[in-house]
Amino acid sequence: MDTQEAVAESMPMETTNQSDSKRDGLKKFTLGPNDSLEGKLTYDGHMTVDGGRAEGEFRVGGNIEIGNNTVVKALLEGSNVTIKGEVEGRLTARDKLTLGKSAKLNGDVQTRRLQIEDGASLNGYVRMGDFEQQAGS
Amino acid sequence: MIGQIYIEGDLRIGGTIEGEVEVTGDVEVDDMAKVKASLAGRDVSIRGQVNGAVVARKRLVIARSGSLTGDVHVARLIIQDGAAFSGKVSMGGAAEVRPARAAEPEVPAAEPEVKALPEPPAPIVAAPVAAAPAPRVVAPAAHVPVPKVAAPAAQAPAARGKGGKAGKATTAPTRGKPKRR
Repeated sequence: MDTQEAVAESMPMETTNQSDSKRDGLKKFTLGPNDSLEGKLTYDGHMTVDGGRAEGEFRVGGNIEIGNNTVVKALLEGSNVTIKGEVEGRLTARDKLTLGKSAKLNGDVQTRRLQIEDGASLNGYVRMGDFEQQAGS
Repeated sequence: MIGQIYIEGDLRIGGTIEGEVEVTGDVEVDDMAKVKASLAGRDVSIRGQVNGAVVARKRLVIARSGSLTGDVHVARLIIQDGAAFSGKVSMGGAAEVRPARAAEPEVPAAEPEVKALPEPPAPIVAAPVAAAPAPRVVAPAAHVPVPKVAAPAAQAPAARGKGGKAGKATTAPTRGKPKRR
């Protein structure tokens, strides 16, 4: 089920610090400041939103990175999820969730590992560990 | 130990505690500690196991060896990789201020009571009170409206006498940081 309705060109451009996307051969795409994505996305790769606008439901096989000054309203699911901007919505990180200094997260979280840096803000339920139950509908 | 503790100053927990802990200063939970209690303090840092609600007026740190199960009201939250945490987080803005304040002020001023725990039932009492400016262990009668987890444990041994043994009635906020918005 590859539902993909990207409302903009999503180009595989490298952002300056891609700390988390390893060279694992997975494809990746980045939403830049002029890009926007709305809807339901299933993607077997890494996703970065850096300045772009994104809303909906994103389930990603690789990692998700939400850059600074980025607002995302979505249900997110990814392996490693790194947030530096603002996120509203349910979030599932199959491996690790990292909230950077400037991160703001509003929503319930399920993750295996969690790291929160000083300055980050979080409101919601956190569940760690077992993964029988997936986030969302 | 089991019961309620109110301390003006800092507290370091190295053993097992059950009940309710309120501290005007900082709370440190050591690696080996097991806490089944609601914790309230300014800076709270957890390296051991905690089961209960936590209110940190300033900051909560869960170190990589720490594990916390319980709801959390904090101004700032730091969780190091490797830490375990489950519960509801409320921070920033109103969410932080309200409970942090409501949790403490009124009652301790009204009726601080010294609860003597003549025979601490738990043999593993190890709660070294480190560097407490006024190491006074007072147990204010019912307050902290959050102690879901701790309540049963706390209630039992607390033979809630309203003994008006008024210790210094200073409440936590007096010493703690002023309200942060």
